[in-house]
Amino acid sequence: MNLSLIDPFVLAQDYPDTLTEKLHSGHATCLRFNHTGDYLASGRVDGTVVIFDIETNGVARKLQGHTRQIQSISWSRDGRYLLTSSQDWKCILWDLKDGARVRTVRFEAPVYIAELHPFNHLLFVASLFEDQPVLVDISSPKPIKRILPSAPLRPQPTGGEELDPAVAAKQAAQDAKHSTCVTIFTAFGNHIIAGTSKGWINIIETETCTTIHSVRLCNGVVILLRLSSNGRDLLINSSDRVIRTVLMPDLSQLGIDLEPSSIKLQVEHKFQDVVNRLSWNHVTFSSTGEFVTATTYMNPDVYVWERGHGSLVKILEGPREELGVVEWHPSRPMVAACGLETGGIHTWSIISPQKWSALAPDFGEVEENVEYLEREDEFDVHPAEQVHQRRLDLEDEEPDAVTLDPVKSDAEIDAARAFGVPVLLDIEDSDSGEDIIAVGPGTMRRRTPGAGRDPVNGDTDKESRPAANGVARGAGRNRRR
Amino acid sequence: MDHAQRTRSRREETRSPSPIDSSTDELAAASDHEEAQRRRQSWSHSKNFTPRRANPKKRRFDDSESPDELTVDPEEYWSASHNRRSPSPINRPTPTEGSHEDRSGESDEYADNRVRNDMNDDRSDTPVPTAGAAPPPPPPKPDHLNYKEKYALKAHLRGISTVQFSPDCTMIASGGSDAVIKVWDTLTGNLIYTFEGHLAGISTLAWSPDGQWIASGSDDKTIRLWNVSTGRAHTKSFIGHHNYVYQIAFAPKGNILVSGSYDEAVFIWDVRRARVMRSLPAHSDPVAGIDVVHDGTLIVSCAHDGLVRVWDTHSGQCLRTLVVEDNPAATCVKFSPNGKYILAWTLDGCVRMWNYVESRVVKTFQGHVNNKYSLSGCFGMYGSPEVRYSTPPCFAVSGSEDGDILCWDLVGKNILQRIKGHTDAVLCVHTGKLNGKRLMVSCGLDLTVRLWEEVPEDTHEEIPQSIPNTDGDQAMADASLDPSAEITPAQDVMMT
Repeated sequence: MNLSLIDPFVLAQDYPDTLTEKLHSGHATCLRFNHTGDYLASGRVDGTVVIFDIETNGVARKLQGHTRQIQSISWSRDGRYLLTSSQDWKCILWDLKDGARVRTVRFEAPVYIAELHPFNHLLFVASLFEDQPVLVDISSPKPIKRILPSAPLRPQPTGGEELDPAVAAKQAAQDAKHSTCVTIFTAFGNHIIAGTSKGWINIIETETCTTIHSVRLCNGVVILLRLSSNGRDLLINSSDRVIRTVLMPDLSQLGIDLEPSSIKLQVEHKFQDVVNRLSWNHVTFSSTGEFVTATTYMNPDVYVWERGHGSLVKILEGPREELGVVEWHPSRPMVAACGLETGGIHTWSIISPQKWSALAPDFGEVEENVEYLEREDEFDVHPAEQVHQRRLDLEDEEPDAVTLDPVKSDAEIDAARAFGVPVLLDIEDSDSGEDIIAVGPGTMRRRTPGAGRDPVNGDTDKESRPAANGVARGAGRNRRR
Repeated sequence: MDHAQRTRSRREETRSPSPIDSSTDELAAASDHEEAQRRRQSWSHSKNFTPRRANPKKRRFDDSESPDELTVDPEEYWSASHNRRSPSPINRPTPTEGSHEDRSGESDEYADNRVRNDMNDDRSDTPVPTAGAAPPPPPPKPDHLNYKEKYALKAHLRGISTVQFSPDCTMIASGGSDAVIKVWDTLTGNLIYTFEGHLAGISTLAWSPDGQWIASGSDDKTIRLWNVSTGRAHTKSFIGHHNYVYQIAFAPKGNILVSGSYDEAVFIWDVRRARVMRSLPAHSDPVAGIDVVHDGTLIVSCAHDGLVRVWDTHSGQCLRTLVVEDNPAATCVKFSPNGKYILAWTLDGCVRMWNYVESRVVKTFQGHVNNKYSLSGCFGMYGSPEVRYSTPPCFAVSGSEDGDILCWDLVGKNILQRIKGHTDAVLCVHTGKLNGKRLMVSCGLDLTVRLWEEVPEDTHEEIPQSIPNTDGDQAMADASLDPSAEITPAQDVMMT
């Protein structure tokens, strides 16, 4: 409702410029906004998931169930369910209505990234550490896992000529070296885009779990894949220190006027720092896909590129710490990133100055002096009664005070249906000293992140305790059963 | 006078090409007659307010039967065609449980309204009915209301300053200068709870959108929250105001509470933490009225300095200031159900409806007595819900210091009903709807809370029991209710 009153110049600015807020609850490692942008979920080092209310910058809900650092967060479309993956080899689907765990799925390895199907919150895809990626159906309490291929699709030998066994063996050996690092769904969820450790992008059909297209786009490991909100653009962060944007073909046309063989992934832009050869911690699209944002390794800055010309438009001055995960608000020009050292969440947005013409009805803001032109009847004296009556007579329109404006876009319809996390008034009490626990009368100590809270995992925890705080990615190796 | 003449003639000129005048003879004749009548009325200066009209005139373009789409207001045409392209999902004949789970009653209702407009447009292709035939498509709105007293609830010991329906209208909360809040059952009129804890009189209360909590603002400078399901007070009270809390309002999600106080500030509270998020340097006099628009993006405040200010919730900036010429103290503000207008009470005995985008008074309602107290009222719906009106018939209601309750038609400004019953000033009126019955609750200095129910006047024109939730105000209140937890009236209907 406020759009009609806001300065259009403020609305026209589509990327943030100033560091505005700092949200703090434990040591956050990953972030994700819900689709309407009302809430920001953050995963902490100690395995707690904290939902922030963006309107109040306060904690709306805390979810406890993981025992290790959270690796990824994925919201369902309606914003009611949340899928988290963690280094404790588990994925949990949460119901935000009451904070309950709907499903807990255990894997044989730590999870890199798990993402929910865009329309079905009981289906997700997960990429695992040194293991095959899986498509998991959790519609029943017992999850059904289907393994997705990692090897790129080789061109089939054309009829007649047999493939040389030596070449075939070599290819098989090469294929075995591929491991998938990232898997995400396309906009409609009919396909999965997977990035491998060799820089290949595989497009896998969700229904059949078969690769329909493979292409090598990067020279290094694919670290992260992101789709823009409309699903037409793909963002690839790779360990070769180049961020690529790729125009996605319309995969929903497959079988109609697009053949799997004619899929083409074209790199549109390559964003890199040619001088310093910076490597990028995390990348994301802006809400419209118009901008690309990245945090840099060993550097407190956030880079913002514009995709139209592929130029760097802004380097957001950050706090004095290296930043990890960066996320762009789905509707506002607002960026959130979490600091690697403090674990605080920093947000950048626009601070618009107060328009003083709004403070009184007869104020106006003019560029330069304007000669005042007196209206012809300005100083005519009319009896107050008459003036009043005339004014009343002029009120002859038919106001409609009830009917809402028709919703214009899908986003607005989504917003209307969006789930609101219940307002809990005792949220602070439930876990007020989040890092401090009482060990006796009057004595407190800092809570060790993730210390023995999972009875299932209790004994293995003790062996790998040193890994829990820091480099837990490698921790999974000696824990495999 | 010369000036007036000119404006009038100009206005007539602009009106002349309207499709009503240019359509069939019958309609043209009718509008001529109306025009004359209107002119007569506007020339009679002696009247204080426009007299009742038996048949408020219709000048909506889409009411004319002209098939020429150029004569239709383009905005309406496009909105209608938009609907045509993407039919809203609520048209499904039988609502399935799963798909309706996340839809609120509100969106259904409004979508329904839009669809109706759409139908009107579609029907405009049919030939024009003659004047003597069956009544024209949009029938006349009722020219009066018929609210009858259902209960007079007496338990307060001193004057009652505020009364509110719960979001689902099953309960009524009232608070007054005896510093207690009483919660009543709407259906039976029984007292459910009495919340005691404030140290001074209560001037305002608000239900949280989920219906779980009542927030109350008091002269002891605090805002307290009371849980309606457990009957207990919230442990944390909202402390921060330096003077009496005058009026409070919840944002639709329930995460934000806005309060206006005698200390001239508007505070935006984080409800979860019971902490001030932002303080708006709002006014230079006590802030008397506060309201939040249905989507939570705007806050309106008014103060005794006569200013009505519209704020951006997110940035905390003032976006508009509305004021009438002689700065009469403004005592209450309310957004319309769709958020396009603001109703503002001022101590010059007027209630004005503002189009705040254009900073213009759209309607001035008069007839009540208001020169001393902060009266409060709201919007309400009337007319048969089955009939498709061109604009949903809506009224504004306010108490009066002479003990009456006045309902004005939003279009004609005529008094639809002057409800008598209270014996002293009526300070607060709220409308609601329960089980398809339109209700109104009022309170005042005569220590009673009175519940009024709209009853059909004529036996032949009965109001059906199950009607979709057309009450805009109520629909607003339902919007943030979790439909899976509560059965809103709208859903109730669909089940049966």
